[in-house]
Amino acid sequence: MYHKINCLLTIALTGLLAACGAKGDRTGYEYSPQMYHSVPYDGLTQITDQDAGKLISNREDGKGEFYNSNPNNPHEMNMRQPPANTVSRNQYGLLPINIHKDSFDLAAQVLKSPLPDNEEVLAQGKELYERFCIHCHGSTGMGDGLVGEVYLGVTTYNSAAVKDKAEGHIYHVITHGKGRMLSHASQLSPMERWKIVRYVQTLQKQ
Amino acid sequence: MAYYICGSLKDLSASMIKSKNFMFATQRSAYLSIITFVFSFFILTSAWAQSDTTDVESTDQPTTEAATSQGGISSDPAVITAGEALFQGNCRACHAVNQKLVGPALAGIYDRQDMDWIKAFVKNSQAMIASGDEYSVALYEEYNNTMMTSFNFSDEEIESIIAYVKFEAENAAAAAETPEGVPEDGTTTTATGPSKYLTAVIVGLVVVLLLILIVLFLILGFLTKFLKERKDDLDEADREMIDQKFDFGKLTRNPAFIGIVAFIFGIFVVKAVLDGLYQVGIQQGYAPKQPIAFSHKLHAGQYEIDCNYCHTGVRKSKSANIPSANICMNCHGQIKTESPEIQKIYAAIEENTPIEWVRVHNLPDLAYFNHAQHVAVGNQECESCHGEIKEMEVVEQFAPLTMGWCINCHKETNINTKGNAYYDNLVELHSQHSKEPLKVEDLGGLECAKCHY
Repeated sequence: MYHKINCLLTIALTGLLAACGAKGDRTGYEYSPQMYHSVPYDGLTQITDQDAGKLISNREDGKGEFYNSNPNNPHEMNMRQPPANTVSRNQYGLLPINIHKDSFDLAAQVLKSPLPDNEEVLAQGKELYERFCIHCHGSTGMGDGLVGEVYLGVTTYNSAAVKDKAEGHIYHVITHGKGRMLSHASQLSPMERWKIVRYVQTLQKQ
Repeated sequence: MAYYICGSLKDLSASMIKSKNFMFATQRSAYLSIITFVFSFFILTSAWAQSDTTDVESTDQPTTEAATSQGGISSDPAVITAGEALFQGNCRACHAVNQKLVGPALAGIYDRQDMDWIKAFVKNSQAMIASGDEYSVALYEEYNNTMMTSFNFSDEEIESIIAYVKFEAENAAAAAETPEGVPEDGTTTTATGPSKYLTAVIVGLVVVLLLILIVLFLILGFLTKFLKERKDDLDEADREMIDQKFDFGKLTRNPAFIGIVAFIFGIFVVKAVLDGLYQVGIQQGYAPKQPIAFSHKLHAGQYEIDCNYCHTGVRKSKSANIPSANICMNCHGQIKTESPEIQKIYAAIEENTPIEWVRVHNLPDLAYFNHAQHVAVGNQECESCHGEIKEMEVVEQFAPLTMGWCINCHKETNINTKGNAYYDNLVELHSQHSKEPLKVEDLGGLECAKCHY
């Protein structure tokens, strides 16, 4: 009898320990969880449950140890959007250029690339093109990328309609989008856009 | 006695091959029938595949006939090819044949307007709208006041484009009209055929082998019974063989047996306990269900969209970042708009609420990790830490993310010092006391305060 209980206990303990690992929706157990969870607001780990980790909590406000959300923000988010109508300054001192998103002709006349015309910029532009444009526009800008083929309506750079477009025009299209392409300003900084422009210009001329 | 069984078995099998009955087939006959079964299967499938190809060929023919039969617009293949080239180069950015893009779908344009109107509009749409042409103005207004670029095409060029459009439109219509069963069935069976057949063959084999096993046991029982009835004719050794029984009770009382079993059980328990303890604090294999069933396999795998396109921070900041909804909208503003999963993004944008993705990789707060440092400077591939993301329908934590795992990589990874003057002095100093190439550990990659502070 004693033996049997012993056996059962061992099996139960083994089963319990085997459940320590993570699988599917379960994160598994943590050793010293207080050191795992961020005390300051963390942008990408939002824990909205006020009772999370209440058992081991030593917080002064009585909330759970793992609660990590900013109650002062909308939706208790930890990250905030920049205030409306503000602009970020950067090391190049570039302020955003306010040209209406439909004024492509004006953009083509006014906007000039601040970057030198050299191989290094071109290489960087190519690298960026291959990360941000290639899936629609294709490796040679023929509009035959894997996504482009199902998305449809992708411009061919060397077609009669666009092969002579100025650099300012291309920059404006990346910034605000045109036709079926939407704005990529949130993904690419102005400098990165100008680098891509330089590479796209070589594809226009092929 | 042994001879008896063999002899009788032989007779049995001989009779069974004649009757070709699976139920009572012995090993030899079953073997033969499996071979015939597999062989006939292959003949059948190859015949099937052949009939498929003939089917496809026969359905192909009427479509080409349909394209050539109607007059008015040229159906000369050369003209159509020329038109295709022009269409791909100039029109495709805004028009598709059967789908509205920036501008209207071009299928049927030759029925809606005459050739002269089409030519005039392509050459100078602005003038057409300004002249107050009713159809042109309606088009202009329908498509958000978007002016079509004027194209300096010759009449023949425009005609060839229309010929291509008509060819494509009729092809698509013909494809939609053909009875769905025939071509689609054919393609799916040929596409998934081999694996289907393989499982069928395997299942068939297992069933046949099980039947053989049952039959053999039946025969054994039958023969033993038969021999027991005639015990008197047998000698001592044979009788013992028939009467033998396996005694489990005796075995469980044997101390050596108990010892061995207990030892093996003990080893398993110790192993399981150690494994369990090692898993504490490690979230390898964590694959939470996300609020939107986004598939990396589809986006990064099938469509080869670069990780950086959505995870914009990966080369610039500590975190790779979860993409904001506007990045989804870059494509899904236009495609797959009906999908219930995509509708969730629309709802989030409409109500201005965050999409609550579940974080998969939770590095403990006690350790610092920087994506930009590893990806932009260290030139690490995403896959080396995140695994085969391109194969994952639901993202799963691939690496253990333990300190030992970090340290291991820092000990093994060479630094690419070529063409970077920053490393010149370091490489020189390093080479004075070591023949090994410069590794991350030589630059302080093992120092505590690099990651813990």
